[in-house]
Amino acid sequence: MSFGGLHTDHRAIVAVAVIVFFVLTLVMAILPALREQAFSGPPIATPRDEVAARGRQVYMREGCGFCHTQFVRDLPMDRPYGRPSRPRDYVLEDPPMLGTQRTGPDLADVGTRQPSEAWHLIHLYDPRAVVPQSVMPAYRWYFIEKNQAGPDDVVAPVPANSAPPGKVIVAGPEASALVRYLLSLKQAKVSP
Amino acid sequence: MRDPGLTASPSVDHATVRVTFEYLSWGTVWLLVGTTIGLVASIKLHWPEFLPFAQLSFGRIRPAHTSLVLLGWSSLVLVGLSLYVVSRTSRVTLWSPRLARVALWLWNFALLAGLVTLLAGANRGPQEYREWLWPLAVILAAAVLIDGYVAYRTVAARTLPEVYVSNWYILGGFCYLPILYVTSYLPFYQAGLGNTVVQGYYMHNAMGMWFTQLALGVSYYAIPRLLGRPIYSYALGVLGFWTNLLFYPLIGAHHFIFSPVPWWLQSTAILFSVGMMVPVWAGTGNLLLTFKGASGALQRSYALPFFVTGLIGYGLSSTQGTIEAFRTANIYLHFTNFTVGHSHFAMYGFITFIAWGAVYGLVPRLTGREPSPLAVGVHFWLALVGVLTYVIAISTAGILQGLAWVAGQSFIVSVIEAEPMWLWRTIGGLLMVGSHIVFAANVWAMRPLPAAVPSPSPEPVRMPA
Repeated sequence: MSFGGLHTDHRAIVAVAVIVFFVLTLVMAILPALREQAFSGPPIATPRDEVAARGRQVYMREGCGFCHTQFVRDLPMDRPYGRPSRPRDYVLEDPPMLGTQRTGPDLADVGTRQPSEAWHLIHLYDPRAVVPQSVMPAYRWYFIEKNQAGPDDVVAPVPANSAPPGKVIVAGPEASALVRYLLSLKQAKVSP
Repeated sequence: MRDPGLTASPSVDHATVRVTFEYLSWGTVWLLVGTTIGLVASIKLHWPEFLPFAQLSFGRIRPAHTSLVLLGWSSLVLVGLSLYVVSRTSRVTLWSPRLARVALWLWNFALLAGLVTLLAGANRGPQEYREWLWPLAVILAAAVLIDGYVAYRTVAARTLPEVYVSNWYILGGFCYLPILYVTSYLPFYQAGLGNTVVQGYYMHNAMGMWFTQLALGVSYYAIPRLLGRPIYSYALGVLGFWTNLLFYPLIGAHHFIFSPVPWWLQSTAILFSVGMMVPVWAGTGNLLLTFKGASGALQRSYALPFFVTGLIGYGLSSTQGTIEAFRTANIYLHFTNFTVGHSHFAMYGFITFIAWGAVYGLVPRLTGREPSPLAVGVHFWLALVGVLTYVIAISTAGILQGLAWVAGQSFIVSVIEAEPMWLWRTIGGLLMVGSHIVFAANVWAMRPLPAAVPSPSPEPVRMPA
């Protein structure tokens, strides 16, 4: 069997490998990506306000997307999470966080499913206070323990056995921003 | 075709030996750190209040674990072995051990900075295996390019006419990874779903076009060398190289089946996931058949059992990946922990076992020092029982999750059903980390004797251009 003289020519092996892999990269990654970027159509989601955008940064910092997808498939089991996701859902997302794991539920439409700010604050401070079997990390470092809440404080109404005795749990700026972001996760209405 | 490994001169060039050993040692350090972090992440899934600190929360240590075991352990150990293999099979000393050492410190700097930044929460979002901030990616890419250049110049200076098949795979890997890595970081086509298309391409090819390339390249040298016989079929090795190059880059989108990325891209990915069986079984079969009639060598060697395990891991984990790509299987398995089991099966049951086989098979020949066979046996069995426990537990968790979802149960049911399996996964992980401590002690036992290292290495032999 002959390999066209390649087996004695290291330059040719490297050149062919680079060219073939680069062409396949173009065809399977760069060009389809460009096409998605250019032709997905106008965004259907409402742009986020500044606080929700900061909340998205917190969501990224904490790696929430490693356990929560934002991507609803056209499958019966995904119905509880919203309508099937479309390319236009992601036009404004940088990066989009479709995800590959659901250790926790999908969040593409969580703002519709769970619109309560108080619930989200409690859940972030002590997930097991609202879902006893949850394995989500508690994000207590985004909350402040106070003896008494001030006039502008956003209080997380956690159950008495979750907070240290005699303390009030106040949402820090990141916690408030993160909740604003979660509430902003609402799938836009589309005609079928 | 003659196997140059069999006729290589027994003289050992100490500069190559030392730089190879440094790569292996640093790889081992990152293995210990990376898998300890992985163990902490595993514990957190059944004990969420374990170590409740921001820097150690699950979402931050998950990318720290993956980046250290992929870019730290697996890459460094395979690069170190590859540099040795290109030198031996070309029958020249490594082109520039000094440059290879510069690259090693770039790797180490990027890995340490990557660890610190990820734990501090500085990342690019949940984009798997490309979470590092871009300046660190630039440093890593520079390290890969330098290592690749050293390997290329060494092969270019070979004293044999043929480029041995190991070097096809190794040079291939060094060509593909920079293209892959740069493509994954450049932003010009990554708005909206463009990013997702690139994500599928990147995370899949990192496996097949980098780790698989180097692991096979090292195997095609080490297995014939240890068995003292040529590989079963040289032509099959070359066929595997080309079919891997043609099929593998087409299948990244199978990580986003049923997603809004174009349907043709998903279908192409599924089709070539089947095509991938050609290089996979060509490689597995070819290397396993090399053992035919050599069961005596297998029983005497403490390195070869790692290779046999790794090769079986290669065939089985790749076949499992192909099955997961089918839409019907994907309905039950996607988004579940089954994927985590698959990636550990491949990166550990295949790549890591091959790397260990090569370390135990080659390093004593370089340094003249052997670990105790008993300690190697303890390492082997702890690692094998550990990874089997891990993979079976987490795959079962995945199947339970998938069944709960398909049955339309409330989401928390899938958490409750998976939780006992998460505990078993931790037990498996504990055995794996334990085996790594034994491995680290064995690496230490194989270290080059300082007295045996002669002063400056001779000038590399260069062929006229």
